[in-house]
Amino acid sequence: MITRPLTRGWKNTLPLLALLGVVAACGSTSTAPSATATGVAATAKPASANVLGAAYDTTTTSSVTLTGAGANSIEPFFETVFYQYGQKDTNTTINYSPAGSSVGVTDIQQGTVNFGDSEIPMTTSQLAAATGGTVLQIPVDLGGVAISYNAPGVPANLKLDGPTLAGIFDGSITNWDDPAIAALNSGATLPNLAIKAVHRADASGPGYDLDQYLIDTAPAWVTKIGTSTPSRTWPQATVGIGEQLNTGVATYISQTSGSIGFVEYGYALQNGFVNADILNAAGAYVAPNEASIAAAGAEATSLSPTDFNVVNEVGAGTYPIANFSWTLVYQKQSSTATGIALGKLFDWVVTAGQADAAALGYAPLPANVAALAHSTILELEGSNGTPLFAS
Amino acid sequence: MSPDTTGVLPREGVEVGGVRAALLRTRAGRGEHVYTVVRWGGAGLFAVVVVALLISIAGSSGQALTHAGVGFLWSGTWNPAAGEYGAGILVVGTLLTTAVAMVIVVPIGLGTAAFLSELAPRWLAGPLSTLVGLLAAVPSIVVGLWGLIVLTPIFANQVEPFLASVPALGWLFRGEAYGPSILLASVVLAVMTLPTMVALSRTALAAVPVADREAALALGATRWQAVRRAVIPAARSGIQAAVTLAVGRAMGESIAVAMVIGNRPAIPSSLTAPGATLGSAIVNQFAEATPGIGTSSVIALGAVLLLLTVAVNAGGQALLRSGGGHRGGTAGALR
Repeated sequence: MITRPLTRGWKNTLPLLALLGVVAACGSTSTAPSATATGVAATAKPASANVLGAAYDTTTTSSVTLTGAGANSIEPFFETVFYQYGQKDTNTTINYSPAGSSVGVTDIQQGTVNFGDSEIPMTTSQLAAATGGTVLQIPVDLGGVAISYNAPGVPANLKLDGPTLAGIFDGSITNWDDPAIAALNSGATLPNLAIKAVHRADASGPGYDLDQYLIDTAPAWVTKIGTSTPSRTWPQATVGIGEQLNTGVATYISQTSGSIGFVEYGYALQNGFVNADILNAAGAYVAPNEASIAAAGAEATSLSPTDFNVVNEVGAGTYPIANFSWTLVYQKQSSTATGIALGKLFDWVVTAGQADAAALGYAPLPANVAALAHSTILELEGSNGTPLFAS
Repeated sequence: MSPDTTGVLPREGVEVGGVRAALLRTRAGRGEHVYTVVRWGGAGLFAVVVVALLISIAGSSGQALTHAGVGFLWSGTWNPAAGEYGAGILVVGTLLTTAVAMVIVVPIGLGTAAFLSELAPRWLAGPLSTLVGLLAAVPSIVVGLWGLIVLTPIFANQVEPFLASVPALGWLFRGEAYGPSILLASVVLAVMTLPTMVALSRTALAAVPVADREAALALGATRWQAVRRAVIPAARSGIQAAVTLAVGRAMGESIAVAMVIGNRPAIPSSLTAPGATLGSAIVNQFAEATPGIGTSSVIALGAVLLLLTVAVNAGGQALLRSGGGHRGGTAGALR
């Protein structure tokens, strides 16, 4: 646990560590027989071996290890699809460290991993800080952020809107029988129980999405935090308590009576949490589930890394706190074998791999988004700038 | 080894006694040269690494310090989301958790050490020492997880509500019982520093001559009085060294604290309120991707933590010197 913080926190301080990073990167790209593999792939490029789209294209001939780091929210999905892919393509080993979206961005910028993952696409300035050139951003899953609670006596599917949620998270609503909550849930009996709000202590994708929703729907929230730009770092850190990662928040909710917090829906599903129905832009209270999250994703007709926001979409059945997760890879791959393995893996993840999404608390990618992912993967290049895959 | 070129000096293995040998030793061959190079090189490299670390920490925190001024040290706001950076509240949290942890660990640790070295029968002292040693080998993240998973619900549902209801002391523990709190973090820190406290104080107690105990007993003291009046005072400097080390460990701990303190960067209204320390804030913010003021401020927190630790260590050393303990093997070894 000591080494990870060091490579992050001191990343700008110790050129030595950067050097180590380069060494590590060299180490991973030159694994085993990559010299011969590169030669083979270079001569065989026009052949059909590198065409994507086949359900399981497992013709990788040399063994490749792919290392990734990033979003904690996508971990349940990645864990399953990477395992299944590894069963079919035994030459590819995949390691993913779910240390958080911010880590995914930092690691790909430094080039210490083969792929990163972030719940929010990289910004222009983050892209400019990438040391290895152009970063391709591939949408790989569609998820939602559940407002989960553990409050004996409070009915399931409690209705909450933006201003009430904002009140819970800015400390102006402190009890479960608060009139603001009662007004939205006429007929429900609410217990006299203190609210224990829990948020993310680290910078996070779910925090960013909920912040975006509150900014869109609760003017008082904007006044309180003093900005209308959403933040990965939770803006009301002095209210309630902060826990690290989805796992920390989920652990706290599951064992503390009166608690309420936000987690990636996949984690809420795994933990069997009771979730709130959230008011969407069409005026309906919607529970997070595969259908409502898919409905939010379907509104993303012009999705791109710069137009990624699917929070508070208009459709009647949409869950209002949804987002795509983005895998980050360098366009120019110094090792052809690694580049081809990356392309094959993620092309499978965005197509056949989506079959596992629903059971894990995610929604399959809409067709237009899967097409965007596929065309982005086709932009992968070898070190000499030639495309790795024939379209 | 190569033979000597001077011809005057004896070859290696030839016995030479006394002062002459000591004089000759400095020129006694290539082995000595290698040893000298290793010795100076090792010490030099260590110094260079430490100085380089200090310089880079100072350099990287420069942006935060020029942004916030010296006020960074006591500015009360730590809110990275709004671009407000100040270490003041985190310093308070660090000192508070450390102080409470010491209030818990010093009596327990000293009591355990006295029991092990003075009172426990041998068949019990052995296994008990092994247990304490095992505790020292538990990684801090495991202790943190234990705090989060096992202690948090107990604190939220039983310990904190009970403490708040204690008549005269309730005000110390008022407020909502979240579970994660200054108190819980202090308990976790106490568990983590207990092995240090026990092992070092026990060594110090064991170094007190048997004659001291016998003298006290001969004067009619009970065993407890002998330990309290004769042994512990004689081992005072060693015990102070143990406390100093425990304090240093408690102040610098980050991961385990971040899991159980609630991460609320505000002045705690009571001991059961959530808080934040320098270490926990670093853990939570280290991955902040945006280079610049955010990163610089996190590194500046590290610099403040370093200064605090140095100050506490210096204070401990000063105490040791003024305390004037002549015995206490551990303290002697540490100095």
